[in-house]
Amino acid sequence: MARLAALRKEVAGWRVPVVGVSALTAGGWAAFLAISLIFPYLAPVFWVLFAIDLFTLALFALSLNLLLGYGGMVSFGHAAYYAMGAYAAAILVKRADVAMPLALAAAPFFAAAGAAVLGAFAVRLSGIAFAMLTLAFSQVVYAVVFKWTGFTGGDDGIQGVWPIKALAAPPVSNNYYYLTLGVVLLCTLLLYLLVNSPFGYTLRAIRENPRRAEMAGVNVRLHQWVAFVIAGFFAGVSGALFVFFQGSVNPDYTGIFRNADPLIAALLGGVHHFLGPALGALVYKVIFFYVGREFPFLFHLVVGAVLVVVVLLFPSGILGFVQERRWRSLVPKRKPAAAPIAAGKGQPASPLDRG
Amino acid sequence: MEWMARVAVQLLSGISIGVILFLVASGLSLIFGVSRVINFAHGALYMVGAYLAYSVMSQAPGSGPYFWLALLLAPLGVALLGLVVEVAFLRRIYRAEPLYQLVMTIAIAFVIGDMVRTVWGAENRSVTRPDFLTGAVSILGQPFPVYNLLVLGLAPVVLVGLWWVFYRTRWGMLVRAATWDRDMVGALGVNTSHLYTTVFLFGAWLGGLGGALVAPLQGLAPGMDTSVLLLAFVAVVIGGLGSFFGTLLAAVLLGVAQGLAVLNPLLRRFDIVIPFALMALVLIARPQGLFGQKE
Amino acid sequence: MTSVAGRRALLTCRGLRKAFGGVRAVDGVDLEVLEGELHALIGPNGAGKSTLFNLLTGQVRRDKGEVYFDGHRIDGLPPYRVMRRGIARTFQITSVFRHLTALENVQVSLFAHYQRHLNPAALLIPARRSKLKEAMHLLEQVGLAPNAFKPAGALSHGDQKRLELAIALASQPRMLLLDEPTAGMAPPERRETMALIARIARERGLTLLFTEHDMDVVFGWAERITVMHQGKIAAQGRPDEVRANPEVRRIYLGG
Repeated sequence: MARLAALRKEVAGWRVPVVGVSALTAGGWAAFLAISLIFPYLAPVFWVLFAIDLFTLALFALSLNLLLGYGGMVSFGHAAYYAMGAYAAAILVKRADVAMPLALAAAPFFAAAGAAVLGAFAVRLSGIAFAMLTLAFSQVVYAVVFKWTGFTGGDDGIQGVWPIKALAAPPVSNNYYYLTLGVVLLCTLLLYLLVNSPFGYTLRAIRENPRRAEMAGVNVRLHQWVAFVIAGFFAGVSGALFVFFQGSVNPDYTGIFRNADPLIAALLGGVHHFLGPALGALVYKVIFFYVGREFPFLFHLVVGAVLVVVVLLFPSGILGFVQERRWRSLVPKRKPAAAPIAAGKGQPASPLDRG
Repeated sequence: MEWMARVAVQLLSGISIGVILFLVASGLSLIFGVSRVINFAHGALYMVGAYLAYSVMSQAPGSGPYFWLALLLAPLGVALLGLVVEVAFLRRIYRAEPLYQLVMTIAIAFVIGDMVRTVWGAENRSVTRPDFLTGAVSILGQPFPVYNLLVLGLAPVVLVGLWWVFYRTRWGMLVRAATWDRDMVGALGVNTSHLYTTVFLFGAWLGGLGGALVAPLQGLAPGMDTSVLLLAFVAVVIGGLGSFFGTLLAAVLLGVAQGLAVLNPLLRRFDIVIPFALMALVLIARPQGLFGQKE
Repeated sequence: MTSVAGRRALLTCRGLRKAFGGVRAVDGVDLEVLEGELHALIGPNGAGKSTLFNLLTGQVRRDKGEVYFDGHRIDGLPPYRVMRRGIARTFQITSVFRHLTALENVQVSLFAHYQRHLNPAALLIPARRSKLKEAMHLLEQVGLAPNAFKPAGALSHGDQKRLELAIALASQPRMLLLDEPTAGMAPPERRETMALIARIARERGLTLLFTEHDMDVVFGWAERITVMHQGKIAAQGRPDEVRANPEVRRIYLGG
């Protein structure tokens, strides 16, 4: 291993050697945890509610990015599993009289089951066909939920889906905030471990070169299916968390625009960085706050304009842009890595460092 | 007998919807076939066509000449918008990863959609049909809107026109060649950049025409861009990307299915499931669509 | 057809046929590759060599025929299963995981070999240090150790070919299918690469089936040669036999 260390030093100029967690990352997390823990006592109720909304979107986007950034699978129908989690939670609580905490814990498994069934078909395809099929499935789910009035409440959905008193949301108590924070942090940690596990590395390899992965002995389809199910599970978690926050569920949870939300968030923040989608979710929510509430007709226009800018100028998202600049400052003589637009390829040198 | 008449009316009604859907879907298919870009903004272009037609026709509600003027100007307006979109934005992303292409067209869809809502407002609007096309005729005893007859009547005109463009003009031949092999066409010295632009223009024009035709038929609603886009996707997937005939068949099939589903109470409950269930089925069983080329 | 005494056939294919549209890319091929030998597959462009490889690895489904590996039928199996039986291949146009480092490339292959990537316990453990020693060892064997942390896409062409070799070796195969292993290299590099491959093959007792266009490489290293032409086997045997074969002269020199 001494030889390994020596080798690393030798090629240190090539990239930022991250062995373990850097001081910056650790410090950043410490600060985040500290602030988020005392946040409800610092900020007005509105912002605490904003934070809960943000956390669920961040998890939703992170779950999609397992497929998008790590798996190279563009899913246009991820909201279906978000909605399945939400509806499962709502139905368990309102129709089956299940206790809310139990319903919250069980709901993601329903979403995972849905992802298992639909994913079995979807992973047989790739590229555009995969995207179209996931979209079709999402619309079928929408239609079923819309029409099955007896079970899902149809167009009106299900109302009065609230957490138990002990876990109520502001302004009653801050406990739902802490619940959401805790669950999202836990899920984020699990996802982080996952993408840095042999499973995660193999998933990235499949993204890079499915044929080569197959020829290295990887059962590509099975692997992609597992990724699809896991992504669906965490989407279900975010959906279930959101429904108890919102208090109701309706077909729009799997509507066409809800499918776009995690996609946009992931792109804004950077799909090749683990926390990119979370950052993108923040930006998305901020845009909504400043534009969407005052000028609801302009929200999509602004988002669209921002996306155009991102695609043309910052295709690797905010975090990608930051990372590229760091690298350029480290190795100034190297020609900057070509942007995806010019080269038609993906990210520059290994972003795997960042997990 | 009455039952047969109702079926006939619904059938014809479905076909006329199918014709309009075909116009939109064919534009989508064309753009994809040549530039391999899935134009998520196509529904928005259709919507602009509808709203432009409304603007023209509302100058003189019920007027025949203004109707024809709308049919002339609205698609041209949409084509112009398409030109701007293609030159300013799409050109830069032809070489990018498919994900970014999709996001770009989605972003454009967002922008156009909101622009329409800002300029024209978000309320549903109805568009007065021109006087000579109001009312209904009797088909086997059932009333059938005269306007739909126009749409049905235009169908063969559109088909012949498209056939003529693609099989009798040099441009059409280039387009067909490019659908089969883009790189070869470029290697043959054709200015692919211009080709992509003109193809997008034409595709946008078709979408705008569809919108202009549908305005007096179904009125205007803020969500019309997404609903038509989804159906157009279904039509293109089922028919097969790159196949005009397939798209036509699928569009008409979808229109007819929608039209006939109204008659049966059970089917009516699931009418919005049918198109997507069909699309899912086709993608699973035969991903290249009924008539598409295997990639 | 000569047989080398004592050696059994590791890979056998009989009557293999594959047509694309109207073109018969592989038209009734019977082939035997003996255990431990270095067997070259040559033929002009379009002879069907790549298609044959794809048929053997299961990447392309055969129209007709059977393929046996180590006595078991493998035709019809999906590629990853063929791999697991002990066949590995490299590609003519280097095919690696471009954005992963060379080390990660090999690690992924090792994970697949040891079935670590789908093991539920392995879903959450860090991969960075997993199978690290073995991966570095493989990289050393092919001379890529200094480049371990470079993204595979940034490696030179020759280095990418070496990486492919390391990826192939990671699965501890019994047989290697190498599709033009020295393509794109200058002659000195070709000899070096072939020497390395031959050495590794001998050390590990691997059977080698490789396609090549460079006749120096072919005649310098192959123990037996099969010549393909228009989808069929035109000649087969030891290098001197093949060289003297008038049919082979006709195929390559025309007339």
